[in-house]
Amino acid sequence: MEDLLAIRVSRDAYAIRVSEISGLATDRKIVAFPSPIPELLGVAGIRGALVPVYSLAMLLGYNAETERTRWLALCGTEDPVALAFSDFEGYVRVPLTQLYAAEQKDVARTHVEHVVRATDMVRAVVGIPLIRKTIQRRCANDGVSKER
Amino acid sequence: MWTFGRKIAAGFTLAFLLLLGIGGVSYRSISALTSTSQLVTHTHQVLEHIAEVLGLLKDAETGQRGYLIAGDETYLEPYRTAIDGLPKVAKELRDLTADNANQQKRMDEAEPVIAARLAVLKRVIEVRREAGLEVAAKDIRLGEGKRLMDDLRRILAQMEREERDLLKQRAGEAEAASSGAKSTIIYGTAFCLVFVMAAGFFITRSLSGQIGAAVRHVQSSSAELQSAANQQASGAKESSTAMNEITTTISELLATSRQIAESAQRVAHVAEETSAAARSGDTTVQKSHESVNSIKRQVDLIVTHMLDLGKKSQQIGGILEIINELAEQTNILAINATIEASGAGDAGKRFAVVADEIRKLADRVGGSTKEIRVLIEEIRAAVNTTVMATEGGSKAVDLGARQFAEVTAALRQITELLGTTTAAAREIELSTKQQTTAVEQVNIAVSDVAKAAKETEVSSGQTLQTAGQLAGLSRDLTRLIQATASA
Repeated sequence: MEDLLAIRVSRDAYAIRVSEISGLATDRKIVAFPSPIPELLGVAGIRGALVPVYSLAMLLGYNAETERTRWLALCGTEDPVALAFSDFEGYVRVPLTQLYAAEQKDVARTHVEHVVRATDMVRAVVGIPLIRKTIQRRCANDGVSKER
Repeated sequence: MWTFGRKIAAGFTLAFLLLLGIGGVSYRSISALTSTSQLVTHTHQVLEHIAEVLGLLKDAETGQRGYLIAGDETYLEPYRTAIDGLPKVAKELRDLTADNANQQKRMDEAEPVIAARLAVLKRVIEVRREAGLEVAAKDIRLGEGKRLMDDLRRILAQMEREERDLLKQRAGEAEAASSGAKSTIIYGTAFCLVFVMAAGFFITRSLSGQIGAAVRHVQSSSAELQSAANQQASGAKESSTAMNEITTTISELLATSRQIAESAQRVAHVAEETSAAARSGDTTVQKSHESVNSIKRQVDLIVTHMLDLGKKSQQIGGILEIINELAEQTNILAINATIEASGAGDAGKRFAVVADEIRKLADRVGGSTKEIRVLIEEIRAAVNTTVMATEGGSKAVDLGARQFAEVTAALRQITELLGTTTAAAREIELSTKQQTTAVEQVNIAVSDVAKAAKETEVSSGQTLQTAGQLAGLSRDLTRLIQATASA
């Protein structure tokens, strides 16, 4: 069985694995600060620590979301990052047989390895580790450019 | 436009002025001719006197010679006549030539010569009488007498020549004056004649035209009058016929008036009954109106309660939001607890089960709140619909109440109108009776009018006759004018 959170990113249906996140938060104040990384929305206080908040929509290749991104998925425990998205639709538990490998066609799909059929619809399962790698790569690239 | 009198007066005035001009010019010419003739006569008188002076002197010489030759005193008769007449004739000659300085001057010369010649004659006669023929002949031969006579002849010849010249000149002037007078009279008369003829022609033509137009107008007017008289006669006949019809109609009208009076009585009776029914209806409508007002109050109460219900459901919605938020928070906590439990490995499995149950409970609470929200929305929609329907009912009740009020007012108005109708029906009845009387009077009046129509018929015949006479008169006048014009 696989536990998933059904979410919406720019009105598209996605899912994230519960096992890949370290927490879920909502309605936190995000304080913006200047950064060369456009996906970085700012920082927010979660569980007594300052956590950088990234726009999951922009990381998936969408434009910045116009609706309020009130939901935050906390990822990692040592260097936690928060991924902001607009809608949380529920907690779903599906058998592993409902998970299918995804085709790699566009930018959004580079972070998607599986799709799941749940609640009568097919959702792309966002790979949180892939997202974290992308964030790390962007931060590293930003550091190199600064050294030069 | 000029009147006839004015035209004729203008023509005569112009003719008179022309005649006056011609007469004036002729008078002037004749005066000049008369004056010239007088001067010619005067010149002839002067010539006669000159010849008479010379003749008297010759007579004196003749008498002297006879006495000288014969010694007879009787031969001195011509001499004595000449002695007596010469001073008078000489004086007359001087008077006649008083306005001629040359002749006066010659007279001044002639008078001493005449006196000297007479003195010589007297002296010779005296010498013959006293000294005889020889002495007297000797005196004559001295030639004094001949010389004086020659001087006198010369002077008188000069006077005669001047007078002849004057005579010639005055005869020419008299001829010219005579010729001028003739020309003035002939040409002036001819011009005046032409003018009078032209004026007569134009005045006649103008008057003929105007009178002819007037006569034609009179002719057309008399024809119209004739036609009008014909129409009047036929109209009078029609009037007479119509009056008969009117009399019949009035009789029918009389019968109808009586029927109307009876109908009016019935109408008054029916109106009274209707008025009673309307009053009864008014009472019923009043009761219905009160019932409707009661319904309106109940409906207003329902609307108030429904609005309260809407407010309450809104409050429930607010509480439900809080429950939903709590459920969401519980759900998040449960998810986080699940994550933490899975991170705790086997030690967290039982906690994970609890967290899962809590999450499921939160899910159920969330689902229930959604269902409750749906139900509340449905209740609010139903309340809104009910409120709107009730407001519609309230409006309908208002409308019904107003319509009842209108019906009440209408019934009252009907009652009032029925009162008016009853009064009017009674007035109609009374008026119809008066009308009947009036119609009878009209009947009499119509008979009089019928008589008048017959009289009109007769008078239109007379008018027709007069119009015919007028037409004949205008025809006579036309003939008269045409005859005048042709003449």
